[in-house]
Amino acid sequence: MLSVRLAWRNLFRNTRRTLLTCTLITSSLMVIILVDGMVLGMVEVMVGGITHTLEGEAQVNRKGFRENLEPELRLMKPGPISEALKNDERVSGFAPRVMVGGMIASTYNTSGGLIYGVDHRAEQQVSKLKQALIQGSYLTGAKREILIGKLLAELLEVDLGDRIIISAARVGTSDITQELFRVQGIFEFGPEEMDENFAFVNLEVAQAMLGREGQLHQIAIRFNDPEDAKDSKLPTLVNLREAEVEALGWLDLQPSVGGMIEMSNYASTIAGAVLFVLTSLGVINSMFMSIYERIYEFGVAKAIGTTPGQIISLVLFEAFFLALIACLLGIVLAYGASSYFEAHGVPMGRMEVAGVLLDGNLYTKVEAYQFVVFPVYVTLLTLAAAIYPAIFASRIVPSQALQRAL
Amino acid sequence: MMAIKMLGLKRSFFAGLLAAGKVGDRQFGSRKSGQGWIWLTGLVCLALGPALLADGLNKGPREIIDEMEQLYRGTSSASKITMVVETPRYQRTMKMSGQSLGREYGFFRILSPKKDRGIATLKRDEEMWNYFPKINKVIKVPPSMMMGSWMGSDFTNDDLVKETQLIDAYDIAMTETDAEYQFSLTPREQTVTVWGRIDYRVTKDPLLPLEQIFFDDQGEKVRVMSFSEPKDFGGRLMPSVLEIKPLNKQGHRTMVIYDDIEFDPPDITSETFSIRKLKARF
Amino acid sequence: MLIFKLAIRNILRQRRRSVLTALSMAGGYMLFVFSISLLEGSWSNVVDIFTLDQTGHVQIHKDDYAKRPKIYKTIADNVAVETLLNGHSEVSGWAPRAYSPALAYGGDKTSVAQIMGIDVTLEPTVTRIKQKVSEGTYFDDQPDADGYFKAMIGRGLANKLNLAVNDEIVLISAGADGSIANDVFVISAIVGNAASFDRFGVFLPLAVAQEFLAIGGDVHEYALLSRDKHDNERLAKDLQAVLPTLKVSPWQEIEATFYRTMQSDKQGNYFTMGLIVFIVFIGVLNTVLMSVLERTKEFGVLKSIGCRPSELVKLIFIETVMLATASILVGLVLIVPVIMWFTEVGLKLDLAVDMGGVVFDTMKGDFSAYVILMPMGFMLATAAVISLPPGLRAARILPREAMGSH
Repeated sequence: MLSVRLAWRNLFRNTRRTLLTCTLITSSLMVIILVDGMVLGMVEVMVGGITHTLEGEAQVNRKGFRENLEPELRLMKPGPISEALKNDERVSGFAPRVMVGGMIASTYNTSGGLIYGVDHRAEQQVSKLKQALIQGSYLTGAKREILIGKLLAELLEVDLGDRIIISAARVGTSDITQELFRVQGIFEFGPEEMDENFAFVNLEVAQAMLGREGQLHQIAIRFNDPEDAKDSKLPTLVNLREAEVEALGWLDLQPSVGGMIEMSNYASTIAGAVLFVLTSLGVINSMFMSIYERIYEFGVAKAIGTTPGQIISLVLFEAFFLALIACLLGIVLAYGASSYFEAHGVPMGRMEVAGVLLDGNLYTKVEAYQFVVFPVYVTLLTLAAAIYPAIFASRIVPSQALQRAL
Repeated sequence: MMAIKMLGLKRSFFAGLLAAGKVGDRQFGSRKSGQGWIWLTGLVCLALGPALLADGLNKGPREIIDEMEQLYRGTSSASKITMVVETPRYQRTMKMSGQSLGREYGFFRILSPKKDRGIATLKRDEEMWNYFPKINKVIKVPPSMMMGSWMGSDFTNDDLVKETQLIDAYDIAMTETDAEYQFSLTPREQTVTVWGRIDYRVTKDPLLPLEQIFFDDQGEKVRVMSFSEPKDFGGRLMPSVLEIKPLNKQGHRTMVIYDDIEFDPPDITSETFSIRKLKARF
Repeated sequence: MLIFKLAIRNILRQRRRSVLTALSMAGGYMLFVFSISLLEGSWSNVVDIFTLDQTGHVQIHKDDYAKRPKIYKTIADNVAVETLLNGHSEVSGWAPRAYSPALAYGGDKTSVAQIMGIDVTLEPTVTRIKQKVSEGTYFDDQPDADGYFKAMIGRGLANKLNLAVNDEIVLISAGADGSIANDVFVISAIVGNAASFDRFGVFLPLAVAQEFLAIGGDVHEYALLSRDKHDNERLAKDLQAVLPTLKVSPWQEIEATFYRTMQSDKQGNYFTMGLIVFIVFIGVLNTVLMSVLERTKEFGVLKSIGCRPSELVKLIFIETVMLATASILVGLVLIVPVIMWFTEVGLKLDLAVDMGGVVFDTMKGDFSAYVILMPMGFMLATAAVISLPPGLRAARILPREAMGSH
């Protein structure tokens, strides 16, 4: 107990140094928490971008469909699949879709594109189509509604309400089918490929055009727990798989993204480790200085019979309290900074990653574990750094120490 | 953060898939060749139609056009056509021969320039084939390629097919002046067309089409088709020069000149329109 | 010179402390260099992947061909351009190209395709086209025994039309003069894979493509490599000045979205590194300040015998910078072999990433003056700045107070 009280008092004998060392430790902690928050935020944006913009967290497709989007490769029995998904508690929403390439013509110009037939209600639970609208309004299920991208609208020289004719081939025959639409809304997802080439119409209309009522090309799924999407053995998906049908989570749909996130974590860990090392060097230095300053005192203490063990524990307690103060300070400051950035974002500039536009700000994520785990690490680190100085202090030879009358 | 670099390169997931539609723009399109004859026959309709006016002046415009279309079924024709395509980049003159039977069958062959001589198109109902003598191949035109311009000209599919459905698809209002009949066609609610309105002007004497103007929904002129140089073709007077001019594109113009038309030639039957014929010597 | 001797002596007086401080600075420097090397290296690698795959370092076009390709936007004064490129010392390779979309037929199947007319001898000096041949052999521009010219097709096209080496492929397109381009070619090779940019491409010998598309001797694009890949933007500017009627663009403009993404990622990384260095220097500040405070008495003596305050500031400054320099040099010696290994050999990834037919399985670093010197400069500057507050503190010591301490 004496050690504890002494340790505490010792810290404040040289407040300036304590403060400086504190700053070092606090800064380390803050950096770790902030960077972790940034990385989490980045990953979430990326993954969210990939999965929530349009693709979904998982998809059910006919095998081979995704390669060339051949309209013949349809899900022949979507009924049972939809039933299964509806009754699955893991699934928070699923969107049935038809996709076909065709010609998009306006009064003024023509262009090729990919036409999605979607269920407007289901789509809202899976993708960001509605949020991407910059003009006009969303689909309501009426026959002639079409949503086109901003760049496409420019190319076709159309505005809201203008005529659009979609021409596509009926599945299985060489007939062409044409249908009239009126521009209901104009969207901007960001990536050129989407804004220049995609058009969205109501599902039934698209199905009728293709002559394939009731059949689908794709079902996009969103889960209640996003982690489920990463599990390729998830029963929800496994049960849907058949000879001709594939059901894959986004990690399998886009494996390179998973690889990237792995690498990102890897890199952060390394940086964190090195940071720790550098911090400990600073702590060691600081502790040594504090011991030197008090070398006379330590000499006296040993001379009057303090055991080496007691000295070690004294130094360690000092380190412990130092860490405690630093961590408390760090937690408060890091929380403040991270929360601020969570609300306002770190300015980052425009980036496009995997077809997703990350615009401007990166929002950090504030997670509980950051404020528990990291301080513990930092405290342990400080203690570890203090061992060398502590042992040194315990080995002070009183006779030599007492000569140094500082 | 370092990890994001990997994705920076990722070519869009969608990019390749969209090639499907990209090719059919106006720069590239020859599939429509066979539909020239439909236009031709549409012209015939229009030419014959007003002739009926003289017979039944109490018939309204709907009946007139309807009768024209009924009349038209069964008529065959053989023609020689010169087409001039002008763009800001080039001017191209082609000579072609064409044959048609009703709305269902059409055959078309390029006679000049030399580079394209022998390229032929066959249309049967909704199917179309092209033949390229240089490589000696008959190629079926895929449905996706049925859109786009005809022979690089300013004609589109719309021009060539829609005319024959005028009666059901459009509301027709007619006015007249001393010299002209003026028809104003407004598409019905469900009519699949890019046009907001089409105006026809027909001269009364002789009874010939003068001009077709295509409007957008706001009433702006987007395209004009004009007819001129009436000639006597085997007893029928018809405009021999047709010009189409898009108003939203500078420097583009297509002219079709009828050098000759023969109606109901004896040697045209449905057997005439066969794939073999594409490759036949001529 | 006395001041330098003094500085060295002071550093060596507190060996342990100096060593620890030096260690943390050396460590910080090494981390910084390593991180930058890896960052620059991976991006450099990625940039190489597509510049050597298709883009080249600089491209020359007519007008806005790059944004809105039209067959008639051709470069006509080839002789002038080619003479210029041949004679230019900064251009290490160049290749002319002609492009057009086309319809490809194989058997009775059809697909859209992209015709790419390339010079059979010049193209491999700019891209890795030869290495991308996965089946068959790289072509030449001579007709075969039957009079057919050769073509190389992409994997996507080969799959879709079920074509193999030695099969025939029919291409239909529109000529620049409005004629209908049609011809048959024999497939001499299949290039790339199902994900590469050229999967729906048909490579034709340039002269054959020019004839096919009726563009005479014109081309649509010149792609060139600059001798120093980091300097390509300057090369582009130089060339633009000499070619006022054409548009010369560095790859950063051609692939603008990617470039922005890369810059943002780098920015993010620099931010993190900056934070780490900040931590290091808090430690250094701590040390220097403590050392100054410890030597208060000494400074008092110095001042009382006439040492000017500015001399003291200088002394502290030199001590800190010398220590920093020594640490950095040690760090340099240790890290250079590592960087060199990374640049030449690299780290093999367990997850090979396939980027458009070019397999990226090694993580490589970049070894350049920037990588080594930038961190050095930054840290020396920081060390210099950090030394000022303690130096000023030392300078303000009043001799009487100083000598009275302890």
